Amino acid sequence: MPLDTSTYSLARLRLDGRRAHELRRLSASLHTQAAADGSAYFEQGNTKVICTVAGPSESKRRGGANSSEQNQDATVEVEVNFAGFSGTDRRKRARGDKRTAELAHTISSAFTSTLLLHLYPHSTITLTLHVLSQSGSLLATCLNASTLALIDAGIPMLAPLAAVTVATTAAYADNEEEADVLLDVNEQEEVELPFLTIAGTGEGEGVRVLVLESRVQMGRLEGMIAVGLEGARRVRGVLDGIVREHGERVLEGKVG
Amino acid sequence: MAADPSPAPTSLSFPRSTFAKLTPGPFLHAHLKQNPPIRPSGRTLTQFREQQITTGSLTHSHGSAVVRLGDTTVVCSVQGEILKAADIPSPPDESADNEDLLETLGLLVPNIELSTGCSPAHLPGNPPSTLAQSLSWKVRTLLYGSEIVNPEDLQIMFTAPKIDEEDDAPVPEVKAYWTLYLDIMFISLDGNPFDAAWLAVMAALRTTRLPRASWDADREAVVCSPALEHYAHLTLHTTPVTATFAVFSTANPLKQRSEAESWVLTDPDTSEEEVCREALTVTVDGKRVLGIDKAGGRVIGMEAVEECVKLTFARWKEVSTILP
Repeated sequence: MPLDTSTYSLARLRLDGRRAHELRRLSASLHTQAAADGSAYFEQGNTKVICTVAGPSESKRRGGANSSEQNQDATVEVEVNFAGFSGTDRRKRARGDKRTAELAHTISSAFTSTLLLHLYPHSTITLTLHVLSQSGSLLATCLNASTLALIDAGIPMLAPLAAVTVATTAAYADNEEEADVLLDVNEQEEVELPFLTIAGTGEGEGVRVLVLESRVQMGRLEGMIAVGLEGARRVRGVLDGIVREHGERVLEGKVG
Repeated sequence: MAADPSPAPTSLSFPRSTFAKLTPGPFLHAHLKQNPPIRPSGRTLTQFREQQITTGSLTHSHGSAVVRLGDTTVVCSVQGEILKAADIPSPPDESADNEDLLETLGLLVPNIELSTGCSPAHLPGNPPSTLAQSLSWKVRTLLYGSEIVNPEDLQIMFTAPKIDEEDDAPVPEVKAYWTLYLDIMFISLDGNPFDAAWLAVMAALRTTRLPRASWDADREAVVCSPALEHYAHLTLHTTPVTATFAVFSTANPLKQRSEAESWVLTDPDTSEEEVCREALTVTVDGKRVLGIDKAGGRVIGMEAVEECVKLTFARWKEVSTILP
């Protein structure tokens, strides 16, 4: 148990040596695949994800009979593939895996409300995520990688979506004073502690995505959300820097 | 793209990139007709693309490698899993001269994943294409046929302790095997997937470290030591190196065969692969030829095959020094 032992309360250092509000190392590259409309490779600590964007392209669904009544906006389709070597056990996930489907649905709804889909009626934007290595904060990493890939594809959005995970240390009510909010959880912390994934667009615009699947004390929730939004704002700054650096290289002609 | 080294015989009225898209065949031909022949990427006929090998980037695998061959990027991960001898439904004869033991038990399992969006021809979400399946099979054949790993290296032995002094010396028996799963994933594809995939497999296998495994008689299970100093490299017995060649020919059913010209291009990229109808893959190790693979085409004759084999031996010298 990484945090129950007294070492955390003594030194306030997590198992990987970080403090409570430290993010893991974030690094990314844009336009990694020339064949795709947009692509990005994103690393958050040891969690590594590649995202490719295809579209907007012609939609293959529905006949045109009552299309004026139906929603004409573009749709966002998401597919998540786990490489066999991504987790500690080599396991090929079945294609209809419900957990993967839920992950894809969350990402799809997040971007449906963020992208300016009314600009591309009757089209489909397809996001494909390949998870190369899982080490905690999977949903957050996927959202960040998707944001970068969509920016690379040039699809307009209201604001870039930045996501992060937060956890709380003490799991029982007695330890209220000891409770610390940890930012950017890794694999071992995800297993032991209640955590949530939160995504915002920064600048006080509110919460875009919030996923909490473990039990947590009511009183902790507000603190976690506040730290989460602050963390998302910092991640947004990092993503911003990555995009600007890429833009400079494009302008200098170093990237095709 | 590289600039033309010498002026074309006739001037073009449209830009180079349009010429390449409209008529890729004549575009390549125009380059090869030069003296000396050159390819659109600026390479000579026998030049391989620059390769970059990075190992150990995947944290959960026992061995991994990322290889870039020009614009073709591939990741290979080697993961070892335990196969208990008791779980094998029909245990094969484990005598030393059973050469097929490795293959019968299926201890090396390669898999190539091409449907990752690595090129417009391989969009994600599709089941494995014919190319992916045949590449997987070629890698598998080469792994078993080259005898790069011996079954003894993957065995986990156990010698029961002697209970009584009168008993015979205990015979070590095989209690489990290591099964190596090689997952090869293409991140981007710009021609010549087989060479890139095999290079990644070699680099990953040479940096694979498996934990020390032993049989625990009380628990009736295999136990691995977590100590880092007990991890050991795999013993590899051969170093196969592959080279792929594509043949560009102006042969045409409407023209005389004697009028046709042809060139053998080493390490073709996508634009060259698309206009070449004939290809040859040679695999060598040291001084032995391990395989020659050719399917179709009438241009390459005996001299061309010998020339390609010589080039592959030269490539072997180069690659065996840079492999980790």
